[in-house]
Amino acid sequence: MKDNIKILLLVICCILLPTSCIEEEEFANTPEGNFEQLWKIIDEKYCFFEYKGIDWNAVHDEYAAKIKPNMSSENLFEVLSKMLFVLKDGHVNLSSAHNTSYYDEWYQNYPWNYNAEIVSQYYLGRASTDYRTAAGLKYKILDDNIGYVRYESFQNGVGDGNLDEVLLYLAPCNGLIIDVRDNKGGNLTNSTRIAARFTNEKVLTGYIRHKTGKGHNDFSDPIAIYVEPSKGVRWQKKVVVLTNRRCYSATNDFVNNMKDLPNVTLLGDKTGGGSGLPFSSELPNGWTIRFSASPIFDRNMQQIEFGIEPDVKVNMDPKDEQRNKDTLIEEARKLLNK
Amino acid sequence: MHMVEQFQPMKTLHFSFLMIAFCLFTGVEIQAQTDTMQTDKYITRATMYGVGFTSVFDTYLSPQEYKGVDFRISRESMRMTKLFDGNISAQSFFQADLGYTHNRADNNNSFSCIFNWNYGLHYQFRLTDNFKLLAGALIDLNGGFVYNLRNTNNPASAKAYANLDASGMAIWNLKIKRFPLTLRYQINTPMVGVMFSPHYGQSYYEIFSLGNSKEVVRLTSFGNQQALRQMLSVDFPIGHSQMRLSYIADMQQSHVNGIKTHNYSHVFMVGFVRNIFRFSSKDKQLPPSTRAY
Repeated sequence: MKDNIKILLLVICCILLPTSCIEEEEFANTPEGNFEQLWKIIDEKYCFFEYKGIDWNAVHDEYAAKIKPNMSSENLFEVLSKMLFVLKDGHVNLSSAHNTSYYDEWYQNYPWNYNAEIVSQYYLGRASTDYRTAAGLKYKILDDNIGYVRYESFQNGVGDGNLDEVLLYLAPCNGLIIDVRDNKGGNLTNSTRIAARFTNEKVLTGYIRHKTGKGHNDFSDPIAIYVEPSKGVRWQKKVVVLTNRRCYSATNDFVNNMKDLPNVTLLGDKTGGGSGLPFSSELPNGWTIRFSASPIFDRNMQQIEFGIEPDVKVNMDPKDEQRNKDTLIEEARKLLNK
Repeated sequence: MHMVEQFQPMKTLHFSFLMIAFCLFTGVEIQAQTDTMQTDKYITRATMYGVGFTSVFDTYLSPQEYKGVDFRISRESMRMTKLFDGNISAQSFFQADLGYTHNRADNNNSFSCIFNWNYGLHYQFRLTDNFKLLAGALIDLNGGFVYNLRNTNNPASAKAYANLDASGMAIWNLKIKRFPLTLRYQINTPMVGVMFSPHYGQSYYEIFSLGNSKEVVRLTSFGNQQALRQMLSVDFPIGHSQMRLSYIADMQQSHVNGIKTHNYSHVFMVGFVRNIFRFSSKDKQLPPSTRAY
């Protein structure tokens, strides 16, 4: 028995394993190499081809013809940016040392519906005396006993302690306005943390899928996303969430979380969308590419990549603006004071 | 447990004085002590420090290899056991490495940090008094991360994997013009194990914030994890001490859940070897004049 064990151990020791390197195809740092690498990254990892009806192979053929071996770096950037605009995705950005590409049709050619000067001067007022700041939240009680919370970016952190203090301060109010217009997104966990203050029970708000392979339709089964009620202070009265076309990404996710909660009304314009969780990659020349990699759906498994419609559609009235009034805030106050 | 550090065969004045004093105070003959020394209490231990080159690749973060410098420390212990008539040795090898690498364009960097611990048993085939081959198996535990300084929702890749490795070693004690050297070559390769890996396009937000950890721990074998750790070391005396120089070729790679990774490091290390004899204070008491505590 011991001899057999010795032989076995010797055999193991003498095995020369056929190993090979695990690596990826390397593209040259040339205009063609950078083009092919960019096209391949998007081809294998982008998540909205089928939904948006994009023939990425045809896009390859169209734009490969525009790539010349001696084209300048700026020219290459321009051609690659135009190729990426085909995706119609605000989460897709190509960044070089000299520029970053942006697709912004999701808010261009639509009413802005937000005037920062009016909100700042005639609603919030002075930071020193007129409103309070709790982490990323600016808040105050308006004249008619309506609470107003301005959240400018989901990149600004908001803690549970902040939310307890804000909601306790605004507790005497008849209703609450949460203004997320022009909020282009940020951290998804802030979206869930705030939404959790507006429900008393666990609520299904959406689904997420991730890619399982390189194919355009290689996705996991949908994974349910819930908002669970916070253990801190929870708001029990009416809420109006103000939205415009520049609400994107994590803001879109927040609006999706809130839209099915009790006592919540969405007022304003359709959001800009942006439901694809973006990942990063890079090209041989060091340019970075950001792209949507993991789609989030609403509770009915409907796509929200192109935005969420409000419950009450309101556009800013230019006459109100001339009188330094914000139409959306005024309509929200009327709704909450009914 | 007391530990007595045994000096090298090159007798020193201090060692002679100590042994004479020991004999005078205890009256115990050295020969009698040698007869009662148990081979499983004799430990060879080495702490090493090194620097080298590393190539880090992880398609979850980037399609490119990141290359740069690797800093490493290691601590190794080897001793004989009583198993199989005293022919089995036990080895504990711990290493920690920190890599700082850059992409092809040298406009982005990543950090990698891996902690690795191997514990194994080898059967020693003593072909001659000075040359032996060892064959055995190791438990191979690994934990760490690769962090890309520029990425957004996929900035880091967590590394957590455990394997059962096959291991072989050759140890040769030789002299070059009466100068003693100990040469050692070791090779380890994982046979079977488990590894953490997100799915191809899965975010850590989905795994840890949303709690979807389905199939993120996968079985590994030769099909999806082909790796080799090789070490070549030479021990030689310097003064009262024993120095070790070593070269580690650490080739880790995997292809799990559609994500390809590799970490190839070539590291040169230097350190000192201590030979330690352990005895239980229940059985033996050192004379008061030799006890510092």
